Amino acid sequence: MIAAAEKSTGRVTQIIGSTFDAEFPEDKLPEIYNALKVETENKGVKLKVTGEVQQHLGGGRVRCVALGSTDGMVRGMEVVDTGAAVSVPVGKGTLGRVFNLLGDPVDGRGEVQTEERWPIHRDAPLLENLSAKTEVFETGIKVVDLLTPFVRGGKAGLFGGAGLGKTVILTELIARIASAHGGFSVFAGVGERTREGNDLWLEMQETKIGNTGRSVIEQTCMVFGQMNEPPGARLRVALSALTMAEWFRDATGSDTLLFVDNIFRFSQAGSEVSALLGRMPSAVGYQPTLSTELGQLQERITSTNKGAITSVQAVYVPADDPTDPAPATAFSHLDAFIYLERKIAEKGLFPAIDPLASSSRILDPQYVGEHHYRVARRVQQILQRYRELQDIIAILGIDELSEDDKLVVHRARRIEQFLSQPFLVAEPFTGKKGNITPLKETIRSFEELCDGKWDHCSEAAFRYVGAIEEVGEQEKKLQAGV
Amino acid sequence: MAKARAIVKRLKAVKNVRKITRTMELIATARFKKAMDRATEAAAYTKKISEIVADLSKANLKFSHPLLETHATEKNAILLVLTSNRGLCGGYNSGVLRLTTRRLTELKTGAVPAEGVEAKVEPKACQLEVSGKRGIAFLKFQRVPMEKTYLHFEDKPAFDQVNELADRYIADYIDGKLDRLEIAYTKFESASRQFAVVETLLPMGDLSTTGRGTPAKTAATTEETSKQSVDYEFLPSAEEILQDIVPAAFKARLFKCFLDAAVSEQIFRMVAMKGATENASDMIKDLSKQYNRARQTQITSELSEIIGGAAALE
Repeated sequence: MIAAAEKSTGRVTQIIGSTFDAEFPEDKLPEIYNALKVETENKGVKLKVTGEVQQHLGGGRVRCVALGSTDGMVRGMEVVDTGAAVSVPVGKGTLGRVFNLLGDPVDGRGEVQTEERWPIHRDAPLLENLSAKTEVFETGIKVVDLLTPFVRGGKAGLFGGAGLGKTVILTELIARIASAHGGFSVFAGVGERTREGNDLWLEMQETKIGNTGRSVIEQTCMVFGQMNEPPGARLRVALSALTMAEWFRDATGSDTLLFVDNIFRFSQAGSEVSALLGRMPSAVGYQPTLSTELGQLQERITSTNKGAITSVQAVYVPADDPTDPAPATAFSHLDAFIYLERKIAEKGLFPAIDPLASSSRILDPQYVGEHHYRVARRVQQILQRYRELQDIIAILGIDELSEDDKLVVHRARRIEQFLSQPFLVAEPFTGKKGNITPLKETIRSFEELCDGKWDHCSEAAFRYVGAIEEVGEQEKKLQAGV
Repeated sequence: MAKARAIVKRLKAVKNVRKITRTMELIATARFKKAMDRATEAAAYTKKISEIVADLSKANLKFSHPLLETHATEKNAILLVLTSNRGLCGGYNSGVLRLTTRRLTELKTGAVPAEGVEAKVEPKACQLEVSGKRGIAFLKFQRVPMEKTYLHFEDKPAFDQVNELADRYIADYIDGKLDRLEIAYTKFESASRQFAVVETLLPMGDLSTTGRGTPAKTAATTEETSKQSVDYEFLPSAEEILQDIVPAAFKARLFKCFLDAAVSEQIFRMVAMKGATENASDMIKDLSKQYNRARQTQITSELSEIIGGAAALE
């Protein structure tokens, strides 16, 4: 695919922010999505920029998105058409390495040994090749397993405003899933903090897979295009990572995990370049092609009959407003939808998952079983009733509620606390050992809670515990402490 | 707009609630004044009648009245609980009911009674008689069996209604069908102080006391009476007077409990509704702020979209 017969060259004619125009001979125009390279030396400063063709403007001119910084570029610089789209190395050689969106390793461990490079723009799998299996994917996090079960080979989204712990939950899921998982993992860092990427990299080197003694990083490859990168890079880095994941799916047929943090930055980068490309802004200033762009990306993240990609994506919700077009568009692509709520985080309960706003496609008796479904619905009903009563409590006080409602409030407050859970990755901060609760235990725990078997315990006893028995232990400890 | 509209809807609801609570507050204030007048009048009567009985007892008479005698074995007890028929009165009912459930288990299991409750308790059959919808609903929910329930004691309990009850208790006590009568209600001490108590009405014991909770006052009263002790001449005889006056004193005390409960209910309601109105006002303030902000955000974003769109077209 990379075989570009002859390379045509052109000149830069205009540079606007992170986009630039180049002029080519009319008969040797580069195709849309072809990568163009600018490689010059100006006053002793080496300059290397890759651009991606987005539009043909007529008159031999093409408009490109720069995938790196355009600092130092001047008009008249020579541009080389590589004759193909940006491609990234794929294969087992990518495992344990860290890349940028162009597929260049950035971990300082030298060249990557792979046989193949795949272009980052590819078609989504055909309908006939899609896998139709639906299976629950256990995480050991109580609230997730009970209310928003993940789908094996499906997509899960973590929605939340700033500082609610999206990245922490994502890291936790990597620690939980990847360490128990036999297949490969790909992590895409899209427009988030570089420090977090670094932390994750170190964390992965320390975390071991099961009892094999090998670290998670050996089964993982990471691609970063963080906040400091220009919009073009943030726009394409998700595709680069996805391409690597696709190779693992198609070539090895194994279950592959794809983690994306943060898919909103992808939309945001698109909106940053959109106006520069001359498109008219649409609702809330987003690009008019918002859903197309996201659709092209999301449709590729899917499981086929060759192998499965299970993906977990963090989605930033600007100003805690889930009706914002970017998160709203992302929402429609997901199987499991987890919404992080500021009010819960303010109470100090983590994971701050809103049990009522979050949902999952497979929370259905057909997939999770009648018993699980019934318990989950009961929990939601109690919490829903509590939420309805909150205004009344705020105005009139709890004494005005009927006895039934008082009981609902009593249990709902305990359920709220019980939905929190100590995390493996938060061990150094909380001093509590991370907890993995099996699904069966989770269902039983919540059922007993709804049945009122634990009404006698104080609310604090339900905080940060695993299965329901630990509530009793914590209650004893609390009473001993008093 | 979705968010702004949702806020408007909530705002309206809260405003309506505030209207209701404010009205309730005003009504409770008016009723409280009337009820308090009745209670203070009755208090004077009850006090005087106690004094007279105390004087009689000082008169060195060997008197006895069945109501004053403690039964040798206490088998049957009645716990009369006074709650309100209506809600929206804060912790009024829950205070009484909490005390009731505790006392009930004490009476049934014969556990050591709480401090201040003068009773040598042994396990006994305890029947509950409850007045007021709220208490009935609570106990029904707790699956506590109730012997009798009353709904007809409203804001102004009438003496006739109480008299009916009192007659039955007196008859039962004299017949030996009833060995102990206790009453759980909210005692009215002053406009700023009311509290839930359990008092023993039968056996009457020392007539001059009004049960637990006011030992200091009791001491003062007895002292006072002893100072003023007057020599009475009894006509036709001291015993005959006692026959009448002991039941009358019991009835007065029972009636006083009902009156106290009625006043306290109004006070509790007044305080609760005042708090509720304030809470609602705070909430309205918050919601208005939220609404204005949502509205402004929307206008800003629409404006910037239009301007942005227009700029892009140029």
